Amino acid sequence: MKRSHHAEKSTGKGDPQCFTGEAGPAKFKVGERVRIKNLPDIFYTRCQVYTRGAEGTVAVVTHESPAPEDEAWDNTDKPEWFYIVRFKQKDLWGDYPDAYPNDSVQTEFSERWLEKA
Amino acid sequence: MAEKHKAAPMVDEVSDFEILEAAVRELAIEKGLFTADDHRRFTEFAHSIGPLPAARLVAKAWLNPEFKKLALKDGVKASLEVGIDWLNPTGFGTPSDYTDLRVLEDTPKVKHVVVCTLCSCYPRPILGHSPEWYRTPNYRRRLVRWPRQVLAEFGLQLPADVEIRVEDSNQKCRFMVLPMRPAGTDGWSEEQLASIVTRDCMIGVALPHPDRKQDDKRPIHPAVHPIQHDHGHDHDHGH
Repeated sequence: MKRSHHAEKSTGKGDPQCFTGEAGPAKFKVGERVRIKNLPDIFYTRCQVYTRGAEGTVAVVTHESPAPEDEAWDNTDKPEWFYIVRFKQKDLWGDYPDAYPNDSVQTEFSERWLEKA
Repeated sequence: MAEKHKAAPMVDEVSDFEILEAAVRELAIEKGLFTADDHRRFTEFAHSIGPLPAARLVAKAWLNPEFKKLALKDGVKASLEVGIDWLNPTGFGTPSDYTDLRVLEDTPKVKHVVVCTLCSCYPRPILGHSPEWYRTPNYRRRLVRWPRQVLAEFGLQLPADVEIRVEDSNQKCRFMVLPMRPAGTDGWSEEQLASIVTRDCMIGVALPHPDRKQDDKRPIHPAVHPIQHDHGHDHDHGH
């Protein structure tokens, strides 16, 4: 049975490891402040609405992979770097209680969603 | 004469997703993508996996600082030491997930807890299937917004100076929590330590405790209201 090109590419390497080296240099570094863009997402996205427009700090530069907005349509031509970004709860929800100023949320973005804050 | 039996209540509705799954599965078998036996083997595998390998990974990390370093740097590589090969988790060639496991280390000042607000991303090869509550909109919507309240509902209340760090798993990384080793476990073996690291401890909604083990014996009580056999007075019930 002929497997899909994606299955053939990732077998024995893993996904996202099979895209290593395809995204060029990463644009952001750990510790950098970034803002989440509010891009259109008519068809598919994995960028949560609650992060749009918020500022956070790059916690981990994770791996290279096609963005889900492309991969959902089997487009794997342009892998991007992915970043785990850490937000203060207060910066996401204005009414988060002041009693817990250190509480945070982390989540992951492909590079297209980030801009320098 | 034998007593007339009334069946215990059953769920008899089939959801749209179950119908969709059956339709796609039957088409795939018809097309030759896999056989019915392949499907059965995978289902059997999927039902057999659980959180024990991850518990062993935690116990090993508590005992061996070098292994802990490896686990924090490369979760997929560290998984091999507890018998989990993310690249071939089933042992018969069927992949089951993305392959980037991240281990989140709790400290006295940081407590991690994992959620997937978009669906139900979960490190299945090493932690087994997610609990039902993990997949509910209730948990997924509320954990990022009111983490302290949700954790309190699980019985976990933490001081204000501990940072609760919610990890919203939304891409190809999968996450498990490496909780702190509790007091009262000095001199314990890897096996003893693994026995107190429950699934919930590795999702992050609970802390390991030396008195609570994965395989604790549970008392069996007789049912308060056992299933009733039909004796002709059904309409009298419920007053």
